Amino acid sequence: MICSDAFIATGDAMADVQGAPGYRYLTTPHPVAGLTAEQVRERAEAVADAVAGMLAQ
Amino acid sequence: MTNPDPDAARDAIEYCYEKGWTDGLPVVPATEALVEQFLAQTTRAPDEVLWRMDHLDRECTVHTAAINAVMAGCLPEYFPIVLAAWDAVMRDRAAKGGGWQSTSGPAPLIVINGPIRGELGINSTGGIFAAGFRPNATIPRALGLMLRNGFGVLPHVFDQTTQGIPGRWAICFGENEEESPWEPLAVETGLEPGANAVSCTLTRTYEFVDNRHTQDSEQLLSDFADTLSRTGSLIFRGESAGVVFCPEHAQMLSGAGMSKADVKDWFIAHVGRIEADLRRAGKDGISDSGPGARSASEAERAPADTFTPYFSGRKDIPIVVAGARNAAISMVFRVFGEWSNTSVEIEAAPVAAVKGG
Repeated sequence: MICSDAFIATGDAMADVQGAPGYRYLTTPHPVAGLTAEQVRERAEAVADAVAGMLAQ
Repeated sequence: MTNPDPDAARDAIEYCYEKGWTDGLPVVPATEALVEQFLAQTTRAPDEVLWRMDHLDRECTVHTAAINAVMAGCLPEYFPIVLAAWDAVMRDRAAKGGGWQSTSGPAPLIVINGPIRGELGINSTGGIFAAGFRPNATIPRALGLMLRNGFGVLPHVFDQTTQGIPGRWAICFGENEEESPWEPLAVETGLEPGANAVSCTLTRTYEFVDNRHTQDSEQLLSDFADTLSRTGSLIFRGESAGVVFCPEHAQMLSGAGMSKADVKDWFIAHVGRIEADLRRAGKDGISDSGPGARSASEAERAPADTFTPYFSGRKDIPIVVAGARNAAISMVFRVFGEWSNTSVEIEAAPVAAVKGG
């Protein structure tokens, strides 16, 4: 799971409610909504290695 | 009433603060006896679940609602309105879909129709958006406390509001049926004339339109259309926005032969922006890409003078008449999601409660 870094408090609280405290997820800098397609691609490339690393665990 | 002990009251209020039960203002400490008085105002069972938020694994019962209505400062006889208001707002698609946790921080708009307005002193005339009337102030506050204490939607965590709406838990008034030229909102939405009812939707901005300048209905509606058409409120294609007309504006339009439906049809035809305006604001993607589009287009997609209407039908434009008849000042409000276009009848208090109360 990837969320923008403005929502870390909510994400952590949701993990607690769902019985998974400390659930690990990745973040990307906020904001995301106004990005162009090219900027979204750059974000994806920036986080790709971390995604692969988390999936491999 | 015996002389209350202010020090004991203060201690009880501070206890509620320490428990995290308040919205920042003092609450009325809820005793079991007082909560029972509220529950006696309804035939609904205390353990009836009003709503459940599965993703938070939390629910709010009638009993929890009663506790929070007490804390909000309601009188027991307001409790059926609190329950009806909750039911009414939860018919709103956005409220069911996570709107309570939205970054928009939408405010419930609660409109009350029927003789209960006079019986309980619910303000429907001067100062409907201002303070000064107990039911107007405490009924919406009860909903806010239910959200906080019933569902645990607290600021900075599950309540993700970026800035919110001024008076988020304070927008509740009666329709000024006595000075409205049109049928009451509850009748428009299908209830019998004279019914006590609540209509409610989640809203965003409130902006006044002060027009004491013309007696021409076309000019007056054009002034409203300018505010209704601003680009700042656009997120998706398809908007919903309403007007709380003051009696003077409503009577002027009615005097020109316009029904509520006529006013809505005029807005459907005239509220919107041309492509050049949308592009200047980076929102021309909205006019072209259908629902969900929210980013600016990379290239011109339509001729500069292409008009994009905001409203798709009368259902998108709630109209209420309220306020004093002392000036031609009305209020435009923006619906957060989609109003249900229905009203909820307020349950009459059980006979025993009336006798006892």
